[in-house]
Amino acid sequence: MTRQERAAWIFSAPVLAVIALVFVLPTALAMALSVTDYSIYALADWANLRFVGLGNFGDLFATPLFWRAIGNTALFAVLGVPMAIGTSLAVALLLNDATVRWKPLWRVLLFAPYVTSIVATAVVWRFLFNERSGLINRVLATVGVAPVDWLGDPHTSIPAILIFVTWKIFGYNMIVFTAALSAVPQDLMEAARLDGAGRWGRFRHVTLPAIGPTLLLAAVMSVAGFLQIFAEPYVMTLGGPAQSTTTILYFMFDEGFKWWNLGQASAVAFVLFVMILALTMVQTRIGRRYEWL
Amino acid sequence: MRHDRAMGEQAQDWTRRAALGLLPMLGLAGCTGTRGPEPLKFWAMSYEGDYSPMLMPAFTAATGIAVDVQSLPATAAHEKLLTAQAGGAMPDVLMLYNGWVQEFATIGAIAPVPSAALVADMFPGVLDATRIAGQDFAVPWSVAPQVQFYRRDILARAGYAAPAQDWDGWLRMGHAIKRQRPDDFVFMLLLNWPDTLITMLGQTGATMLRDHDTRGNFQTPEARAALAYYARIFAEGLAPKALSTEIQDPVAAFAQGYFAIWPTGPTTLLDLRRRAAEIPAARWGTARLAGPHGVGAVSGLSTSLCVSASTPRVAEAWALVRHLSSPASELRYQTMIGNLPARLNAWASPQLRAPILAPFKEQMRFPASAPKVIEWERIKLEIQFAAERVVRGVQTIPQALAGLDTRVDQLLAKRRALVEAGTLG
Repeated sequence: MTRQERAAWIFSAPVLAVIALVFVLPTALAMALSVTDYSIYALADWANLRFVGLGNFGDLFATPLFWRAIGNTALFAVLGVPMAIGTSLAVALLLNDATVRWKPLWRVLLFAPYVTSIVATAVVWRFLFNERSGLINRVLATVGVAPVDWLGDPHTSIPAILIFVTWKIFGYNMIVFTAALSAVPQDLMEAARLDGAGRWGRFRHVTLPAIGPTLLLAAVMSVAGFLQIFAEPYVMTLGGPAQSTTTILYFMFDEGFKWWNLGQASAVAFVLFVMILALTMVQTRIGRRYEWL
Repeated sequence: MRHDRAMGEQAQDWTRRAALGLLPMLGLAGCTGTRGPEPLKFWAMSYEGDYSPMLMPAFTAATGIAVDVQSLPATAAHEKLLTAQAGGAMPDVLMLYNGWVQEFATIGAIAPVPSAALVADMFPGVLDATRIAGQDFAVPWSVAPQVQFYRRDILARAGYAAPAQDWDGWLRMGHAIKRQRPDDFVFMLLLNWPDTLITMLGQTGATMLRDHDTRGNFQTPEARAALAYYARIFAEGLAPKALSTEIQDPVAAFAQGYFAIWPTGPTTLLDLRRRAAEIPAARWGTARLAGPHGVGAVSGLSTSLCVSASTPRVAEAWALVRHLSSPASELRYQTMIGNLPARLNAWASPQLRAPILAPFKEQMRFPASAPKVIEWERIKLEIQFAAERVVRGVQTIPQALAGLDTRVDQLLAKRRALVEAGTLG
């Protein structure tokens, strides 16, 4: 080891130690927990703890609610990612137009929901979604739509929560896209216009390749975020109605913290980890194919 | 002259630096000097937690012990207490719902009651819920049976002076009211609050668990009858298919006549008194809950006081329990939040002779007994989930009950293994 290398190790040692202590160690312990039947009985007496191997995973796959939770989470991600990113991109494109005035004001107003408290806004949105007195149903009634029991019908509960989530988070990616759009070369845009490219042609062949890497990053982060969705169903519906908004993380929270089945909950965490890892790898591969990364 | 000034500056410098150095020490002295012994920590849920600080001045005045009360939201209390036990951060004294006592005693979180005098003179039947293997682990604090709160005016218009007390009569009354008010509902049965459904199951005689409480026992005629009746109330449009998150303000809904019959516990008395401007006392009354063939045993959210097994201040903690559960404190609490005393001799007080309390007093003598297994709290929620699936048309009654048996067997797997190994009685 050269002197330089030694110095490098010494300088990075504190960070490595912290990472090992707060990240690697807990992850390893959680994996160890997932092969035990740690439950409230083990909390009572350590002698009740047993090594169960892959038993937790077997139990998990035999639990209908777990599959239900996976299905609900997939629905959240499949509908939510295009909805959130699409809204962010559309608003960013609108704000990027040269004719829009007071841009900083619009940016602040549209970003504001992102920094508000989720519990407070969820309470407001619960009132908006109310079947009898909610603003949304009143507006729909003026165009002749029958009242929808947004949060009380198992079929509309996920879309209702997604509307709330999209409103809450689109501001963040909007700012990211605004930054990316300002880097789109204007001379290319002018050249495309002179060559006769229409609005869609310019967006498809000039804007999109320029913001491609940003779009990929936003997609990766959004997928990871939606697969871990928890707080929104927790404050809006408590996982109901008929467990139609119980997500993987909600299921894990119930098992682990509410009922103290930490063995089972760690197994859920492990499954979720593998899912997110696999999806991110697929996304990265797609990104490489289009030479965005 | 010049030299003097330099000396003077130096001296001044030194004192300033010294003073600065002393500041944190002053701060430390301020912290430790004014503080007496640590206050006792007391955790309670719901209104009990919110209003407990008002019972403490008398205790502090009599004993000199300060008490720090923390109010926990009822929906998150169970996990908070378990986490506190796992993390070694339990309070000295805590309130538990009676259904949780078995669980917290099993994990060694609460200490047995040291003297029989503390639990003498309790309402009969109340101690059964908090006694584990012949030993008392909690001092009952309040008894909270459900009764039906009803709207006198709405019932009178439908031709009823008081609500029906048997199941057939309940439905007939429901339809009579529904005919008068087709846009509103009659009964308020939240689809995520299991107590009314558990009461119905108990009243039809469903035993729910079998084989020393190690397996689900839901595919029985009794369980089918109870679930069918529960589902019928919703199917016939007499109750809204709603969770607690949707009925954000049940008192306002009751005042507006959104529903006319509300099975709930005594703390609703406080809600209704607070909101008397919206719903005057003359418009509502209380009656015992209807059963299949008339009134019967009813479950509720009665509360108890426990002392943490890990507290170093055992004597002081039990002194606080003695104070909080004294007839005087219980009566004071009754006027504040509606809670009904668990001590018999508190009931001699004229304060408890109000006609509105009479149904509670009669009902208190018939508490429903729950299986004493750690998993019971969770099984209750599973029963409610199964019922919700039936009410929403996701499953039929036989499917839901078969699914419930499978699920409960799964939840009780660890208990079954321990019972079979002889580790657990």
